[in-house]
Amino acid sequence: KSSQSEATTSLFIFAFQLLAAGQWVKLEKTTYVDSAGNTRTWETVKRTTRQTNTEADGVGIIALLKRTLHKDCVVMVKQFRPPLGSCTLEFPAGLIDEGETAEVAALRELKEETGYKGEVVGVTPVTCLDPGLSNCTTQIVLVNINGDDVENIHPTQQLEFVEVILLPLDEFQMKIDDLLQKEKIVVDAKVYIFAMGMAQAFFKPRELPVLKQ
Amino acid sequence: MEFEESGIGEECGVFGCVAAGEWPTQLEVAQVLTLGLVALQHRGQESAGIVTSDGASTPTYTSHKGMGLVSSAFPPEALLKLRYGNLGICHTRYSTTGFSELQNCQPFVVDTLHGKIAVAHNGELVNSRALRKKVMRHGVGLSTGSDSELITQLLALTPPMEELDTPDWVARIKNLMTETPTSYSLLVMFKDVIYAVRDPYGNRPLSIGRVVPISKLHKEDTEGWVVSSESCSFQSIGAKYYREVLPGEIVQISKHGVQSLSVVPRPEGDLPAFCIFEYVYFARPDSIFEGQMVYTVRQRCGRQLAIEAPTDVDVVSTVPESATPAALGYAQQSGLPYMEVLCKNRYVGRTFIQPNTRLRQLGVAKKFGVLTDNFAGKRVVLIDDSIVRGNTISPIIKLLREAGATEVHIRVASPPIKFPCYMGINIPTKEELIANKPQFKDIAGYIGADSVKYLTVEGLVSAVQEGIASVQEKEDNMSSNKVGHCTACLTGKYPVELECRWMVIIGALF
Repeated sequence: KSSQSEATTSLFIFAFQLLAAGQWVKLEKTTYVDSAGNTRTWETVKRTTRQTNTEADGVGIIALLKRTLHKDCVVMVKQFRPPLGSCTLEFPAGLIDEGETAEVAALRELKEETGYKGEVVGVTPVTCLDPGLSNCTTQIVLVNINGDDVENIHPTQQLEFVEVILLPLDEFQMKIDDLLQKEKIVVDAKVYIFAMGMAQAFFKPRELPVLKQ
Repeated sequence: MEFEESGIGEECGVFGCVAAGEWPTQLEVAQVLTLGLVALQHRGQESAGIVTSDGASTPTYTSHKGMGLVSSAFPPEALLKLRYGNLGICHTRYSTTGFSELQNCQPFVVDTLHGKIAVAHNGELVNSRALRKKVMRHGVGLSTGSDSELITQLLALTPPMEELDTPDWVARIKNLMTETPTSYSLLVMFKDVIYAVRDPYGNRPLSIGRVVPISKLHKEDTEGWVVSSESCSFQSIGAKYYREVLPGEIVQISKHGVQSLSVVPRPEGDLPAFCIFEYVYFARPDSIFEGQMVYTVRQRCGRQLAIEAPTDVDVVSTVPESATPAALGYAQQSGLPYMEVLCKNRYVGRTFIQPNTRLRQLGVAKKFGVLTDNFAGKRVVLIDDSIVRGNTISPIIKLLREAGATEVHIRVASPPIKFPCYMGINIPTKEELIANKPQFKDIAGYIGADSVKYLTVEGLVSAVQEGIASVQEKEDNMSSNKVGHCTACLTGKYPVELECRWMVIIGALF
């Protein structure tokens, strides 16, 4: 029975029909067989930029700016997003270029968008962004930024239309809510979910390393 | 060394921090305060307290006080609740005689007509008895015997000229300064500022530092301001020494910076009276007072001692560790080699294990061991920073002789203490001071040494002031500030008239 379900899985999608294509994005009609055996179609958005040798379209970066005797801060970017028609608060992100790994792309995008030079401390598996709409995938790369390093004090950004926002990791969710009170922005789901996760994690008091013998 | 053995102490250390730039700050103010206190731990080990504030117009104060060393007084939960501060003050307290209670721990927080204030105080008011009566006559009840509570209540009193809705803290602090001449170094936290105050005689120290990023290239960026009893605390938090608070000065420290509000003058003709024993013993060697490093002054005292009281010996040594700079100065001046002769067990003594008298007499719980190879068959001069009672140096001399020292001479890098201190040092009663006993005439015989000489008062004062004179020459605009040190415990000349006549009489009757 299990071998039969494997056979039917590979046959699920069997046709693509290009409906429209632009420079960065294309629209396809996907024809597939559902688990009941019925043939169905789905309108699918895809990027035209996906590289052949990489797994994901792009990277998102969760970067922590760490400075001595300062609170650890999450590095975020605020920018105008035409599809929404308003500004958003997101993690720095970008597409993976040809020949790049996710880690390399992440450090490059971070430097371009925020000016910070970081070090990768972790990568997530390939994750989907909006699977009901598109096949776009991303890998979230965890980065630490040594804020005591000369290069990372008053960094120069290379993109002018992106504003860097630093918020302490401590009470992250509350600080985002405060920002929402003051400005008309839409917060990216990944950012807000991360903030909620942090609030849960910090619910138990954690040990401050200041006085450890 | 004997100060440490006998438990003679400086009363306290104070420390404060204000974060610069946008509030709520990303600077970890509670951690800065804690590290500042750890650096001032030598000024007090009995208890510690921190008060932080969010600096709002109706501020929320969070405080935590605990007994013991800073590392045990502040468990992680305490630091966690303090972490929302944008500014704060803190205090370490020294053991005084009598019962140590948590309620006596500073900083004190009281509600005044214009809002809450927190006060941290280092020093002892010379006229506290009369002031207590005065404050209580105003209808204020006092719940502790502490001077610091008294100061807090005096600040809460409305000064005569103040208008109803506007607190004039300069006037209130000046009012306090007219009520009591010395000694106090104060930190007063109110709303979003800290007032740093030093009494007009500058008896206790206070200096300001600027918190900068760790990286060397961005030292112009100010991340915060700190104020401390001693500048040795600045390095541990990445702050740069900025300047001293002048005697009589009221300084306002806020997120915008440091502003001098006023300098209250001394009565005509009176010189400043900075406690000379801060240089001799109490301060950490890396602290800076009056533009000079404490270590350098101690070394100069050793040199001066070698000039005044040379010895014909083979080896110069010391009792670890406080007299080491003086011993090195003595060795350099006399051209004799410096050798270590004693090994110290830091786990025996006042703070850790307290051997009873019998154990001490049996010599069982010994604090010092001898490094025989370094001095057997040689004549030794031992430099110490103080001999107060004389009962801690004599067992050491005995140890050295038994291990083979042919001669043991003692040179003391400070003059003999003869008089009580009313400005915050708990010197033993006059009867206990060796300098006041008839045995002092033959002190060498009394303690078992071949000879004993003390540094003269003139020698000490010149060693201390020599460094200041050279700094003054460079800064001509400071020439109006005179130089002066309190040597009351050595000479009996107190910087101000003392409260009760009987104090003065007894002081004169050594």
